[in-house]
Amino acid sequence: MSNAPASSPKPAVKRTVDMQIIADWVEPRSRVLDLGCGRGVLLESLMQSKDVFGIGVDLEFEKISACVKRGVTAYQGDMMEFMRAFPDAHFDRVICSRTLEEVPDPAAVIAEALRVAKSVTVGFVNHGYWKNRLDAFRYGRKPRNDVYKTAWHESRPANPASVADFEEFCALKNIRIARRALLRGDWKTPCNFRPNLFAGYALYDLAR
Amino acid sequence: MNDAETLESPARTEPGEVGLVEPRDFVSLESFLFESGQTLAGFTLRYETYGRLNAARDNVVLICHALSGDHHCAGIHAITDRKTGWWNNLIGPGKAVDTTRYFVICSNCLGGCQGSTGPSSIDPATGRPFGVTFPFVTIRDMVRAQKRLLDSLGVKSLFAVIGGSMGGMQVLQWGIEYPGYVRRLLAMATTARESAQGIGFNEVGRQAIMQDPGWNHGDYPKNGGPRVGLAIARMMAHITYVSDASMDRKFGRKRRLPKPQKTDGAPPESTDALPVSTASQSGLAAGSTYNFDVQFEVESYLRYQGESFINRFDANSYLYITRAIDHFDLAAAYGSLEKAFEHVDAETLVVGFTSDWLFPPQQNRDIALALLRAGKRASYAELDTDLGHDSFLLESEELYALVRGFLA
Repeated sequence: MSNAPASSPKPAVKRTVDMQIIADWVEPRSRVLDLGCGRGVLLESLMQSKDVFGIGVDLEFEKISACVKRGVTAYQGDMMEFMRAFPDAHFDRVICSRTLEEVPDPAAVIAEALRVAKSVTVGFVNHGYWKNRLDAFRYGRKPRNDVYKTAWHESRPANPASVADFEEFCALKNIRIARRALLRGDWKTPCNFRPNLFAGYALYDLAR
Repeated sequence: MNDAETLESPARTEPGEVGLVEPRDFVSLESFLFESGQTLAGFTLRYETYGRLNAARDNVVLICHALSGDHHCAGIHAITDRKTGWWNNLIGPGKAVDTTRYFVICSNCLGGCQGSTGPSSIDPATGRPFGVTFPFVTIRDMVRAQKRLLDSLGVKSLFAVIGGSMGGMQVLQWGIEYPGYVRRLLAMATTARESAQGIGFNEVGRQAIMQDPGWNHGDYPKNGGPRVGLAIARMMAHITYVSDASMDRKFGRKRRLPKPQKTDGAPPESTDALPVSTASQSGLAAGSTYNFDVQFEVESYLRYQGESFINRFDANSYLYITRAIDHFDLAAAYGSLEKAFEHVDAETLVVGFTSDWLFPPQQNRDIALALLRAGKRASYAELDTDLGHDSFLLESEELYALVRGFLA
């Protein structure tokens, strides 16, 4: 399973699709906080395309070092502690691109993000995608493919989400979904039919 | 998480050495008004430079030293020197602070004792050392004095100001005091507000000095003075620069073998600051462990630290500089930390170290967070080390890569 078929796009390529949609949603010159910013690739592109004032948060020194090297402002530390240090609506937008699947309490992160920013962009891999279900059905194991590359014992994400999970959560918490983009398994083509089954990737723009 | 890219491997060019360097003196003949309201008719700053000033005069990196540091931060003064400058691992051709690109300047701070004007300098009015008549110095005074030096060198702007500990305080003050002049601030293992614990340690050091009869209200001859007090101050301070883990790794409970006793009956002549009590004085047989001689390696090491310090540092300077650190509180000085940083124009990088308990990570984080709240560009990175406060001097490829990336 580790060798992905040539037809399926590599995650790095897919990531740029994610970045394009986020860039379309981000207002020019806005103040953007990227939680789980990694090496700052997304923020760098937003700084270039939208002239945003960006700040990233991540846990690892190497990630921050890579951000600093590409001129992206970044903070090493816990994202909740970071957000608590800021007044309400300090940021225009918080971005959680493939981050919420990895935090122990996604609801708390979203609540705090909605406090410090006017809008919150969430992007995640749809765990309910049919290939994942088929994988689980056929092998009775955690899906292993291009996106879920590791065995369970060395795994990220820790807390996978499906489109249905997420929308149920938003309804439960009265979080307004201002925009959403659902993409098929190629992470390119819009998915309009039964997204919880056929969307490979989901993006949401949340507002209070 | 955008982790697709792999981090480019750091450039593996073999770093060179700054090599032989010579300190120089800048003499300011203009009078200097201290924050305290006191004045000096003029002052001297001893400094060193490495690399070359470019035609635009804008490739200058200023290094700010810590409490007991000095202007000699890289290279050697003589071929026979065993010790290099205190930040030689960071500064040099091809190193993180690359002297083939940057013109590096470091000066001994105002109030210091390594060639810059301080309490051990001669007061022209009396012909004797200033002692405690020297004006009280603040971190801001140190920075303003450095600015005069840079002006005299024709430096038009600073590419970066870098410093750790008290040097980090100066870095922050530089960004506040001369916002248009500084483009990058790199502060490590520091604070925007000296804590009660920090003031407490400084006070113990000062009391050790001032309670030593040799201090004599600050009036003592060169090479004399409160040698025991200063050595004790240094021993105590040294503990705050390291960590429980690093001390235990280095010394553990390792024993120090007793020195052979002199047999002529006369107590050994000692010029040491800390004369070692002998077993005979304590009334026990030689060789017994029930005495107060040096028994553990760590004791011996601290004594060595204390004794080597008194040969290079002036006790009054120690009082003045620790006081300057005590008074450093940007939030109080400007109303709030955000207000203090209101006009900062530079891009900032703050680096904290997990095991630093003198200026703990949180105090470093607070600096970056306040800058961010004030709408400034400020990054924070935290290096996982167990070496305590002095971690900023660590030989660490990770730290070098961070610094290099920030300056690039």
